[in-house]
Amino acid sequence: MNPLLWPEYSVLLGVLACLAAVMALGTKRSAEYPVSIVALVASAVFTVHGWSGHQSPVALYGQTVIIDNFSVAVDGLVILAAAASILLGWNERRSGTDFPALVLLAALGMMVLGAANSFLVLFLGIELLSLPLYILAASPGTSASGEAGLKYLLLGAFSSGILLFGLALLYGGSGTMIFTAIGPAHTIAPLVAAGSALTLVGLIFKLGVVPFHMWVPDVYEGSSMPVAHFMAFGTKVGAAAILMRFLFFGFYLSPGVWGPLIGYLGVLTMIVGNLMALPQNDLKRLLAYSGIGNAGYLLIGLASHNVTGAEAMLFYLLPYGFAVMGAFAVVTMVAGERSSISVKDLAGLSSRSPALSAFFVVAMLSLAGIPLTGGFVGKFYLLQAALFANQPGLAVGLVLATLVGMGAYLRPLLASFGHPAQSLEPIVWPWGGALVLAVATLGTIGLGVYPAPIVQIVSHSANFFWLH
Amino acid sequence: MVLVWLLAVPLLGAAAVLAVPNRSAKAWAATGGLVELALFVLLWVSARHGVNWPWIAAWGIRFQLGADGLSLLMLGLTAVVFAAVLISSDAGAGRVYYFWLLLLEFASIGLFSALDLFLFYIFWEVLLIPVFFLLTGWGGEGGRSAAMRWLVMNLVGSLFMLVGIIAVGVLHSQLTGHLTFGIAQLAGTAWAPAVAPLLFLAFFLAFAIKAPLWPLHGWMPEAYGRAPAPVTALLSGVLSKAGIYGFLRVMVPLFLPELRAYQTPLLILAAAGLVAGGLLALRQQDMKMVAAYGSLSHMGMMALGVFSLTRAGVLGATFYMVAHGLMVGGLFLVLGLLENRAGTRAIAAMKGLNRSAPRLAAYFLFFVLGSLGLPGLPGFAGEYMIIQGLVAHDVVIAVIAGAVLVLAAWYMLRAFQATMQGPVGNVAIPDLLARQVAWLLPLAAVVTVLGVWPSTLTLPAAPSLYHAIHLLAAKG
Repeated sequence: MNPLLWPEYSVLLGVLACLAAVMALGTKRSAEYPVSIVALVASAVFTVHGWSGHQSPVALYGQTVIIDNFSVAVDGLVILAAAASILLGWNERRSGTDFPALVLLAALGMMVLGAANSFLVLFLGIELLSLPLYILAASPGTSASGEAGLKYLLLGAFSSGILLFGLALLYGGSGTMIFTAIGPAHTIAPLVAAGSALTLVGLIFKLGVVPFHMWVPDVYEGSSMPVAHFMAFGTKVGAAAILMRFLFFGFYLSPGVWGPLIGYLGVLTMIVGNLMALPQNDLKRLLAYSGIGNAGYLLIGLASHNVTGAEAMLFYLLPYGFAVMGAFAVVTMVAGERSSISVKDLAGLSSRSPALSAFFVVAMLSLAGIPLTGGFVGKFYLLQAALFANQPGLAVGLVLATLVGMGAYLRPLLASFGHPAQSLEPIVWPWGGALVLAVATLGTIGLGVYPAPIVQIVSHSANFFWLH
Repeated sequence: MVLVWLLAVPLLGAAAVLAVPNRSAKAWAATGGLVELALFVLLWVSARHGVNWPWIAAWGIRFQLGADGLSLLMLGLTAVVFAAVLISSDAGAGRVYYFWLLLLEFASIGLFSALDLFLFYIFWEVLLIPVFFLLTGWGGEGGRSAAMRWLVMNLVGSLFMLVGIIAVGVLHSQLTGHLTFGIAQLAGTAWAPAVAPLLFLAFFLAFAIKAPLWPLHGWMPEAYGRAPAPVTALLSGVLSKAGIYGFLRVMVPLFLPELRAYQTPLLILAAAGLVAGGLLALRQQDMKMVAAYGSLSHMGMMALGVFSLTRAGVLGATFYMVAHGLMVGGLFLVLGLLENRAGTRAIAAMKGLNRSAPRLAAYFLFFVLGSLGLPGLPGFAGEYMIIQGLVAHDVVIAVIAGAVLVLAAWYMLRAFQATMQGPVGNVAIPDLLARQVAWLLPLAAVVTVLGVWPSTLTLPAAPSLYHAIHLLAAKG
């Protein structure tokens, strides 16, 4: 057992322990949630222990896996996403006994993606991430969730097929499975070009990039809140990480080929995502389209193809994650026993629970990118990357999308300050949700006011110097 | 460190009013406003040290605040107008209202002292949020659409300015090799001819929309009209100055050659706004809108002073910012008191009110005379300096500016005469209460002192303004 892999081992052991707890104790639901949190805490401890600002990368298993500061940073983000999802699901009666084990398994897939350096590991990670999510999407057992699960399964399997086909072509064209071994000589071969295009399609499907975004709102809508949260945060981390590994490690010599493509897709995605978020009434669908828009912002980091871009992309995942945590925690609490709520259901939140409404304001303003929240610093980082890359078009696209997004995020905010149609019962604060909300709000404001430490960490984690 | 406290007190106050019950929120907020005023006096008499702390080292961003002459004047204006507004606001407005007001004061103080573009932008945009919520929550019927318009128009400007800010930082780093957003470090950089007009436009639009300068004032009528009187006083008295301040603080150091190159069109634009605002004010049937469009016209006057790029013009614009802020702030507050009493703002509905409310009419007259530029009150001194600066550059524009002063007398006195003088109508209103006189009288006293003795302000402000124009003229 390699000591560097203890964050992953902890999660794997957590999966087994959760399953064992369910097998031994049945449906009494006493042990698996605490066990999963313990596993994540252990993993977090190993992650923090494993992080060192100047440690050089270690290649394992015949170079198929790279443990470096980047993979460790991704581990940290994944642990945060998984822990928040499990805490949100803790007090929710509808999420079953299998929920923690499946979340941990998907989280393991995301961690694998963060360390992947070979086509095989890439595919392993994608499948490890996807299979538990297919089950989780369908797990509430309603007709909507069944539809969501089936849709996700069919489209996901289709994209996996495309991905696999692309990987096969890439292997055939380049003769290697290892990203870092794809030499410059091969990058123009037609087989490699076709293979990398198909692989990219498979990967950006997972990120939810236009035009492969259709599944996102439907699947979120049918899933339970904690699962939708996990898809919005965790899946984005995994997909963004593997895109960076694949493009920055495998194809960094040919950015002229994929850079413009990613740039145009990014601008298209951020504008379409934010525009489609404007008229949404269901809050889960609104957050789904917001997630699509944010996937577009992330692509700016890739399209910039410089160190700042890599840093900005990794950085942006954290404020985005905090904002998603905060928004989903509030929505979960307001929804209570219901499986979804509309913008109108937020009416009167400011008088029902001023504190909850204040937390909601912080999350929404961060998604909108208002200063003193992490979302603003993230966008500032991405804009720097685009302008350092001499691509003002990307910057203007981001700004226009932000403007549209402002309207989308203000609508629920305004609703929460409006008057409710009927009198409403007081809001119950489950402790799991409250904890998630506290961390999310502190994180959002902390990143907005003093981002320097995280900027420092990111600049050590994504310092892919060969991109200069 | 006094400066840091000046920034921190409104923020602490905002947190405090959220923690106290609704009925004592006003007392806390008003105390905060007075403490802020006292701190400003302390800043004025102290050595006025700024701070310059490391913040985000990787991007060369520093937490840099300063109080040179220009900032000092704007900080004073902010402290005085906010104190008056906090004291005069409705006691029953609730703690959330005072929370947003104090947050707005925090953002204004920060904006007027920030010396790093990143920090400047943070306050610039944070400013939008309290106004947005004040308009939606306390703006009555149409408050929501007024708020949306305010936010969207200002965001269009500020988001492009954000791209501009990062672009000047990046371009400067490509020239010099190190990334910085400090205004002093960026000053005088020669931008590549291909991007200079775009950069200029990115900053200009943001400042012109915020002021607002005609014809970018689309958000103004609704916002000024819907906002409760104290918030209108802040919008026109303090926040509108943020745009003009931006021209002086950011555009003069960064884009002086461009300002010179586009000087004639800029002057024509500002003069057109001056005339258009005056003509629009003449047509209004609603007293608040007379003052609002009059204010639009005066923003054109300040812009003329800045774009003249002469010593007298720039100094006059700066002085006029303070003078106008105090007078128009006072005018909107008095109009608010009048509206509360009469239940209407329509000029036609009021007649001969100076019989029933002589004290209110006296304060109304005082601020009206100040706004139309009566010698002895500070508006006159500001206008005089601006026109003096203009004469040196362009006599035609100077003549237009002088002529519009007549227009100002016309629309202002029309509103006053129709409502206050003449035969007594069927509406009678109660006069000012002693507690209202208690804050109006000091405000009027400050205004009078500035009118009689403008050098109280021009002496401290002049060196930094002259420095900005001349040092850079030598460089570029």
